Formats: sequence, C-alpha cells, structure tokens
Amino acid sequence: MTLHRRTLLRGMFQGSAAAMGVPFLDCFLDSKGQALAATGQHLPTRFSTFFFGLGLTTSLWVPKKAGLDYETTSQLKPLEPFKSKMNVFSGMRVMVDDNPNFQHWSGNAAIATGIAPTKASQFDSKTIDQTIADVISRGTRFKSVAAAASGDPKHCYSSLGGANTLPADPSPMALYTRLFGPGFQDPSKADWKPDPQVMLQQSVLSAVSDERKDFMKNLGAGDKTRMDQYFTSVREAELQLAAELKRPEIVAKVAIPAAPGEMPVNYALPNVRTVTPLMAKLGALALATDQTRVFNLAISEPGSNIFVPGDPLGYHITTHMEAIDQNLGYQPRVAKYNVYSMELLASVLKELDGIPEGDGTLLDHSLLFAYSDQSYAKIHAVDGIPIMLAGNANGRLKTGYHIAGGGAPVSRVGLTVQKAMGLSVDGWGKGSMETKNAYTELLA
Amino acid sequence: MAVILVCAVFGVGSVWAADNSHVASLRRLSEQEYRNSIADIFGKDIAVQGMFEPQVRMGGLVATSTAVLSVTPAGFESFSKMADSIATQVTDEKHRGKLVSCNPKAANAPDDACASEFLGHYGLLLFRRPLTSAELRARVNLAGAMTKSSGDFYAGLRYGLAELIQSPNFLFRKEMAVPAGGKAYTLDPFSRATRLSYLMWDTAPDAELLKAAEAGDLNTAAGLEKQVDRLLASPRLETGMRAFFTDMLELDTFDNVSKDALIYPKWGGAMAPSAKEETLRTTINLALRENGDMRDLMTTRKTFINRSLAAIYDVDFSFGGDWMPYEFPADSGRSGIVTQVSTLSMFSHPGQSSPTKRGVALMDIFLCEPTPTPPANVDFSVINDTSGPLKTVRERLMAHATTPTCASCHTHSDPIGLSLEGFNTIGGRRLTENGQLIDLSATIKGTTFRDGPGLGKYLHDNPKYPACLARKLYAYAKGVDSEEVDATAFKAAYKNFTDSGYRMRALLKGLAESPEFFSTPAAIQDASAEQPTKLASH
Repeated sequence: MTLHRRTLLRGMFQGSAAAMGVPFLDCFLDSKGQALAATGQHLPTRFSTFFFGLGLTTSLWVPKKAGLDYETTSQLKPLEPFKSKMNVFSGMRVMVDDNPNFQHWSGNAAIATGIAPTKASQFDSKTIDQTIADVISRGTRFKSVAAAASGDPKHCYSSLGGANTLPADPSPMALYTRLFGPGFQDPSKADWKPDPQVMLQQSVLSAVSDERKDFMKNLGAGDKTRMDQYFTSVREAELQLAAELKRPEIVAKVAIPAAPGEMPVNYALPNVRTVTPLMAKLGALALATDQTRVFNLAISEPGSNIFVPGDPLGYHITTHMEAIDQNLGYQPRVAKYNVYSMELLASVLKELDGIPEGDGTLLDHSLLFAYSDQSYAKIHAVDGIPIMLAGNANGRLKTGYHIAGGGAPVSRVGLTVQKAMGLSVDGWGKGSMETKNAYTELLA
Repeated sequence: MAVILVCAVFGVGSVWAADNSHVASLRRLSEQEYRNSIADIFGKDIAVQGMFEPQVRMGGLVATSTAVLSVTPAGFESFSKMADSIATQVTDEKHRGKLVSCNPKAANAPDDACASEFLGHYGLLLFRRPLTSAELRARVNLAGAMTKSSGDFYAGLRYGLAELIQSPNFLFRKEMAVPAGGKAYTLDPFSRATRLSYLMWDTAPDAELLKAAEAGDLNTAAGLEKQVDRLLASPRLETGMRAFFTDMLELDTFDNVSKDALIYPKWGGAMAPSAKEETLRTTINLALRENGDMRDLMTTRKTFINRSLAAIYDVDFSFGGDWMPYEFPADSGRSGIVTQVSTLSMFSHPGQSSPTKRGVALMDIFLCEPTPTPPANVDFSVINDTSGPLKTVRERLMAHATTPTCASCHTHSDPIGLSLEGFNTIGGRRLTENGQLIDLSATIKGTTFRDGPGLGKYLHDNPKYPACLARKLYAYAKGVDSEEVDATAFKAAYKNFTDSGYRMRALLKGLAESPEFFSTPAAIQDASAEQPTKLASH
C-alpha cells in the first residue's frame, strides 16, 4: 500500500476543502515492521546534544573494562537504565597544538568542531550540530532548537563559527512558545492547513535577501563573514516559512501539553532539576512532531555555576578549591556534583526514550551526543573529557560499548557521529586532531 | 519632513556609495538601542516584544562586541517577527491616523505616491540616512505587490515597513568612511550623526541631527559644536549615559546572578533590578544632575535606596515613595559605588564573597587593568607521556598549579577584594566571620588602606581611574576594544575632562569634538574578493 501524502497535500493546497482525516496508523510500517514516515521513508534520524560543565572524576567514572559488558561505575550509575542504548568514550585527547588551552573553552570547542580554538569563547568553524542540521533538517520548521536549563541564553555551544552562538531559549515557557506557540499547527490535527500569511512574509524575506549585493559592497573581510551569517540566517527564515506551508511528514502519537507556567530558571540545582526534564520533554516533542531534527540542551556553561543550596561556593569554585581527600583520592564534593550532571543526562534520555515511535522510541531513532569541557576541572585538564553517545541512530550505531580511547583524538567521536547520522564525510578536524579514522566498529 | 523627503526622492547615494569610501564599522544594534530607536521613531505605545540575541562583553564592554557579532538564525527569526509586529501596529487602525502622513487614493489599491512618502520618511529614520532612489523604489514595489495580493493598501505598507525594520541597514549601524585628505579617512555626515546620537542618547538620530548631517554642518567645527551642545543639554542625555554606565559597570551581568536563598533569604527577585537602579541613580545624579567630579563616584556616601535595599543596608525605610535619597553615616564603611550592593554581589559566589572576583572586576572596570587569565596548568608534554602512572602526572600538574606564576596575578587583584571583605556576598555589612574579626586592610604597590572608605579614597586619588573612564567612553563610542586603544586617541577628550575638574559633560564634549572621534583607519584592501562582484554589477 502506498500513500502519497504530498499528493494529498498538494490537492488541498489547490483549494480542495476536503478534510484530511488521515491519521498515521500502523499501516505505515515496512515489511520488517519498522516505522515509516508518510513518504514511505524510514523515520528520520534526529540529533541532540547535551552539554554539562566540569566533567566527571576519572577514577569514579571510567570503567576498567572496555568493549561490551563493561562494569557500571559509581558515576555512570544514573545512566544504567540506558546502558544498552548508549556508548561511553574515555581517554579521548584534545590536542591544542600551538594554541593555548583556553580554560573551560578549548575542550568543548574542540569536541564540537574537531578544531582547537584559536580564540577564547569563539569557534573556529561551524559546530557539529549545525553541520548535521545542514543535511538532516531540510524542510523542518526549525533548523535547530536550543534550550538552556540554568536560564542564560548564552549557554548554547552551537554556532555557525566565530563569536556568535545560537541563542538558547532560557526557560521552558520560552521554549514552548517558540515551538508550540504562534506558527505551530499540530500536524496530527485533521484540519491542518497552511496559513496564507506565510506567503506574504516570504515576499518580505525575499526582499531582505535582495539587499545582499548592495549591502556587501565595500565591506572588509571580517564584516563580509558576519554579513554572510546574517544573510544565511535570512535564508533559513525563508526555509522555515516554506516548511510551515507543508504539513510535517511524521505524525507521532503524542499530545502537545499546555504551556508550562513561569518558574525560576537559574543555577540553583533544584531548579535545574525541574527545568531540565521539562525542556527535554518539549525538545523531544519538537523532534517527534518534526518541528526540528536537531535539539541542543545545555544544563550550564562550561565552568558550571550550578550550586546546591547551602553550598557557598557552587560547582565551579568547588572544583578549584576543594582539596583531594587523601583517603579517597578524589574531591568528594566535586564527585557529588559530577553525579548530578549524570542524573540530569539520565532525565533527558528518559524523555527521549519515553516517546514511542514505530518499532521503538524516539531515542532509538536519535543520536544524542553528550560531552563536557574538562576532564579534571581542578587543573583545567582536557584529556579524557567524558563523552557519551546515546540512541542507535535508527540502527546505524551499535550501542552498549565503552570505548577506551587510549589517547586517540577526540575528533574520532565527532567523525563517527557524522557517519552515523548519514553524512557523507571522509575526515574531520584540523591539525593533530584531523582524522579519517571513525570508530567503524560502532557503525552498523 | 519636506526637506527630508526631497533627498529621499532624489537620493544622495553618492555620498556613501562612492568608490573610494569603505565601511568603517558595522555594529549590531543592542537591545536597548533597538528599543529606543523604535520608541523614538514610532512612539512609545508601539510594543516591542521578542527575544534579542545575548550580549557578549569584549575588552570590558558589550558595545565592543557589537562590531564583531552577527545575527544568528534564531536571532533573525526573532528580529523578523518583531519587525512584522511593529509594522502591523504602526499601520493598524489605531495608529495609522497619526503615523501614516498621507491618505491613499483607495483603501484597496496601491498608491505609489503615498507609499513612497511613508516608506521614504521611515526609511530615513530607520536607516539613519536617506534611501537611494533604487532602495525606495524596491520597497514601494514590494508594498504595491502586497497591496495587490491582500487587497489592502495598509497591508502593503505593513509589509514594506516590516522589510525596512528587518533590513541589515536598520539592524546594523553601518558607518561609512570617506577620504579626508592624504591617507586619512573620516566618517561621512550621516554616519557622524549616528555615532553622536547613539553615544549621547542611545537612539537613532532625530530629524534635526539628520538635517544637520545633510546640510554638512557636522563637518564644520561650529556646526558640530552646535549639535553636540544641543545633545548634551537635552534630558535625553540621561538615557545615553545610563546605557554607557550600564555597560562600563557591567550591570547587565546582574541578569544572570543567582544567590543562595538558603544562606541569604534577604535576596529576593527584586534585588538585582533594585541594586542596578541604585548604582545608576547614584552615577547619573553625580554625573549629570549635580555636574559633579566623577572621582567622587568612589567616595560619595550619597545614594538612593528602595525598600528591598534598605533591608540589606539595615536602614529604616520611612518613605512613602519607591525611592528615597539616603546618605550613609561616616562609620558605615560605605564609599561610593564600589560598596553598593550591585558591585559587591555581582562579583561574588552564590553564597560567599570572593576577594578575587571583586578584585579582578574592579581593577578591570575602574583602572583598565585586566587580570590575565590564570594559566591552564596543563602540561601537554607530561600528559602525553602515557607510559608513566596517571597519578604522578596529576601530582606534577598539581605542583604546577601552586607555582609563583599564580601568586603574581593574585597579588595584583586580590588586595582590592580583601579590603571589601567587610561586606558579604549580597552586600550586607559584616565585621566578623565565624566569630573572628575580619582583617580589612590591603596593600597595593606600597599603598596601604583599609575597608570601603580606604579603597574608595585609593581609587579616587588614582589618576588611572579617570583615565580609564575616558578610555572606556572612547571605546564605547567607537565600538573598539578598550584594551587596544592608544592613549593618544582620547588625549583631547581627557584633557577637557581634567581641565573641567572631571565633569562628565566636559569629557563627552571633548570626545565628540576631537578630530579622533570621527577619524577611522584606511580600508583593508580586499580587492580579490570584491573584484568579481564589481565586474558583474557593471
């Protein structure tokens, strides 16, 4: 049985008032029972990132055994329910070559770009989520969506390159409004129809695009790059409008909840614990309803200022000030903060895994890339930064492994991610981190 | 408006599109600049709702980053929606009588003459220069097409106007440089008006300033002085100086300060905006209302408090209004804005004061002496040696972290912070900590002082402080990095400042009328990239 949803839509576009009472039923499965989208394609693979500051404690999180069936360590304990659905990477190296090791920046920037940054707080290229979004987000309403669980829109490590980062929605309310406020139409509703206003807005954007040639005249090289970003942003807004004219192709069995209320969103851990799963749920719904295919969530900045009420120092300062307990061999309060990060990651995975889709869950049809900025935050060490990949990317990524990197460049993980996401890419990274060596043993 | 329309129709494009001109700087409007510009052009009842891209501070100023940042996809999405919302309000039935100066021949058909008048008028104000005839024609055509497809003249205006408000020509302040003899370059007249207006009033140039630009007045000493004096005499100078001091004093940092309510229950949601407002009121009062000596900002005990601040300062708030002037007693330990809740709490940990954070911030803000970032302490050659036991590597790295390298920076910034230890993380007074009397003394380069008043006097008497203020103002006005500015660039302004006894208006006047204010470096040749475009366009 073949249903051509686009044909049906086109019919409606041309003025047919026939109601589209065609909810997606389980008939949209292929012969193996795998879920199909309306066009008969498999469900697209969605991509997410999860950023947590200040790493973990090496002696407490790195499993001794590599490969499958590695032992769950104390700091990985919160992730145990997802062990078979994820991979963990230890011992990956960030090679800064001749560049400085910018504290709380070089590590995460290198993981996100494969390039050691030449300036603090700037990316030397587009970040991996945007490279992936260029390929997989075509036709969705948002090329990517970002959320910041401690309330600062700057907490987003997604960029087209340079000093600009894509601003994150800093509260569940803001995220909800962007995703499901004006401009959103529930694709599962029978009376879905394109908004005629959208076409008028397209003409406006097209006129803005037409300014490009004149505006670029007499610009210096740096300003040209900036204006390229501006006009790229205009182009993406045009694509977004075009997407709003089409009914999204996936209709998940999810209900869009009512808007969350206003709530405190800041560094206090109890608030971060409330906000993180809420944001993750909204992000998961956005992925499931194909509003976007890329979702970035950061629980804090690198050098996290998250604090437990009553702790006068907070996470970041504790990593620098707390002495190593001579009996334990690590910083006990820091170790607790580390575990909170993993609990928050688990709460995100739970949301992704809680949305059933076809033969599995949204998590199964996703790849989530979780990483940090430091390995040993006390001394700003960047070798062995904890990295996790969750979800099997629609079957393209084998999971359940602990990869002991043994000093391999961290860019190998990014390259593996891109291959698992279906990008045709041979190599990635620059300088000592340039690699063509993906973890092919993980690629199915 | 008639005068303005003439140039809108005929265009004076050659002034800024000349082949020997170049773009001297391209600054993204800040949130406040955007809001002020829209309010001044269309009126305060036009709502501006939406998300702005987050700010970044470079060289101590957010203003500097506006010359580096661009517009991201999420940022443009928001700008685009805001532009449409503003244009919809301007052309709706409630506002069109006041804001649309002409009546269309028919409500449901295009009227190019009226659309041209409307878009030319607002185009001038939004782009801060007249539209070229081609630019205006493009918008009139867009409005006409939109009128045709919607059957509504005002819908056409709405979309035409929305285009102007999301155009890079509005969202970025594009400053054009023209040759000024020899190798020198200077800003063209409309760019001069823009730079002056955003510095003084934090908003787009008004009709009078644009007229002065068009007439060439801003290129003569007398004409420039007339406009500078007018801007300085206006009460709107307060808006401009609030923006400058918010940036220089890093008061925007407050938006993301979290305090531990468990340890400090007095810290509530109203505290950050109150503390910010206190510092701005104190500063504006001294700088503009009292026309005072700016060095006294370090020592004055006069302030303004509201009910929530009174709780932290332990003062009876017996006043009916929201704010009351207040003078701290001499033995309060308070001294100028350095001991106000804003400074003390912004540069602290959530539940504990931080001499290092306070010291680093104050050295940077008031003395223009940024503290270098501490060494990362990662010796890669050691880490690379995987044959050795990891523990030893760590131990060596740890040993590295306690070298005198660290000490050299901490002796630079910590003393200022240590003298403020008599105030807790939310700015409350304390003389003991855990039952022990706090040592409030500090020594910098042989000068010993004690507590808030000691620090205030040290800064007041330190010539680096007024010089730093002049440096920051120069960098703020031009959108350059304060750390890279040569002292000669603001010499004339600084002389005016010192000669006047450190009056803010004298500093502003000296800056705006100095030749350096509008001068700009020659263009960096980028012929290889530009050539094909030029050929294609001929």
